[in-house]
Amino acid sequence: MIKLLKIEFKKILTYKIFWLLVGLYFVFLAAGLLMAEFMVNNMVDNMNRHSPIPFPHVAIYFFPWVWQNITFFATIRYVLIFPAIVIIILVTNEYTFKTIRQNMINGMSKAEFLLSKLLLILLISLVMTILLAIGTLIIGVAHTSGITLSLILQKSSFIWGFFVTMFCIQVFALFFGFMLRNTGLAIALFTLWVFIAEPILYHLLKAPFVFKNDISTYLPVNSILRVTEYPAIPVLKQVMGFTLQDSVGLLTCCIPLLYAMAMIGGVYWVLVKKDL
Amino acid sequence: METVLSISSISKRYGKIQAVNDLSLDIRKGQVFGILGPNGSGKTTTLSIILELLKSDAGRFQWFGKAPSKESRKRIGSVIESPNFFPYLSPVINLKIVADIKDLGYGDIDRVLHLTGLYERRNTRFKTFSFGMKQRLAIASALLGSPDVLILDEPTNGLDPQGIAHIRELILQTASQGTTIIMASHLLDEVQKICSHVAVLSKGKKLFDGEVSKVLAISDSFEVAATDMDSLAGAVKLLPGFLSAAREGEKFLVYFNGVIRPDELNRFMFGKGIILTHLSERKRSLEQHFLELLRDNE
Repeated sequence: MIKLLKIEFKKILTYKIFWLLVGLYFVFLAAGLLMAEFMVNNMVDNMNRHSPIPFPHVAIYFFPWVWQNITFFATIRYVLIFPAIVIIILVTNEYTFKTIRQNMINGMSKAEFLLSKLLLILLISLVMTILLAIGTLIIGVAHTSGITLSLILQKSSFIWGFFVTMFCIQVFALFFGFMLRNTGLAIALFTLWVFIAEPILYHLLKAPFVFKNDISTYLPVNSILRVTEYPAIPVLKQVMGFTLQDSVGLLTCCIPLLYAMAMIGGVYWVLVKKDL
Repeated sequence: METVLSISSISKRYGKIQAVNDLSLDIRKGQVFGILGPNGSGKTTTLSIILELLKSDAGRFQWFGKAPSKESRKRIGSVIESPNFFPYLSPVINLKIVADIKDLGYGDIDRVLHLTGLYERRNTRFKTFSFGMKQRLAIASALLGSPDVLILDEPTNGLDPQGIAHIRELILQTASQGTTIIMASHLLDEVQKICSHVAVLSKGKKLFDGEVSKVLAISDSFEVAATDMDSLAGAVKLLPGFLSAAREGEKFLVYFNGVIRPDELNRFMFGKGIILTHLSERKRSLEQHFLELLRDNE
């Protein structure tokens, strides 16, 4: 395991595109977080123009809600695409440069090769979770008065939701990478699925043509996004009728994790079955 | 001698093309084994199968007397097709990855970089390399950790004459240390210069195999002339291994089956009372011989 991670490290340590994309993720995330509060209050102002009783301005970065809000903004489609593209590139590079063949020739097994990529995904997810937790603590402390430990820990389960989301979206990307083997094609089809195909399918399934169903919520990307479904902004709840999410549900995490397991199984089967 | 690789009747078909047809081979420790054949004769397919990159349709093979596994592959260094490395990584990091996979330390990296003349460029990214340098890095990677077996697929393809000489020297040097070498080539000359044993492939079938000196032994021909051409014509027919004689102007061109030395021929004629006024050996080019072997098996 340590050996496989050592190998993966060498493959990314001096790879500029990897660090560029990871950096872009944090830049987009920071920009999103800076804009989010401003945009929500902009919405409140708009609503107040037509409302006899004005809503108060909202703050979203105080404990305990800051966990949920930051996790929500850190897992929207537009920022999740970056770690996913990183994984697609790392996997398809191995086919483009034929290094997967060379790794096999040199004495790696196909299972070890897949495991090394999964370990990398786990590690990236873990490091990002830790970074996000540190960031959230700093932002939360700066925005909360009267901090107690229990207040800080109250909603911290969302950070594990972030870990699950990160892991699952990267496994989904890994699946596209291994199945398509071509960088451009895999990124194009992955993006198409995440931003266009699945949202269309989602709305088609949601419209009860024949019978009322909730199949749409089980679509792969949607099931990943549902781990942190809404931000914790009370005013939105009142206006839009959200049900506020209390914590990250174990069952909600199970669905994307089951998808991830099925995809890992599928990748392994194809790896073993097909010539390199 | 210990058998390093034993192949028993492997076959591989791509659609209509039978790439490898019921091929069996035994390669023993210390041999420099050439797999010789024209393009498309199944050399690379065979190497891909024994390296487990391709699955054969039938047959099996064993490395070091055991079923092939990742552990057996760790004892093999190979250069097959194009050099496969991460273009954005330096040779040193690329070689460290290879060393990690093979469970080797990093201590041998400097040695193989020196051997292949890449030491000065060890920290430049691979993508800045010329083709010759890329090929040399592939060979450096194959030599890492002094493997028991070295597999080379057309190792001098695309190299300049200096590069070819350098690589051949490296191969011979490695062989002299007891490393078993399996080398595919379409160049007969290369096999002749480097290999101790050879198998000739055509259309995926093995035509024959054995020691290079025996398999590629050629029948010689001689040009002879004497003052008395008529008695010469009678005498050559009595030579051992005589095949045929043809008159070419003032000379006879005499063909033999097998090898006969010029001094033997001269002594024989002298014994018959014939003094030769002209004697010269004419060797058929090996290339020509190789083509004939293939043609005979069409």
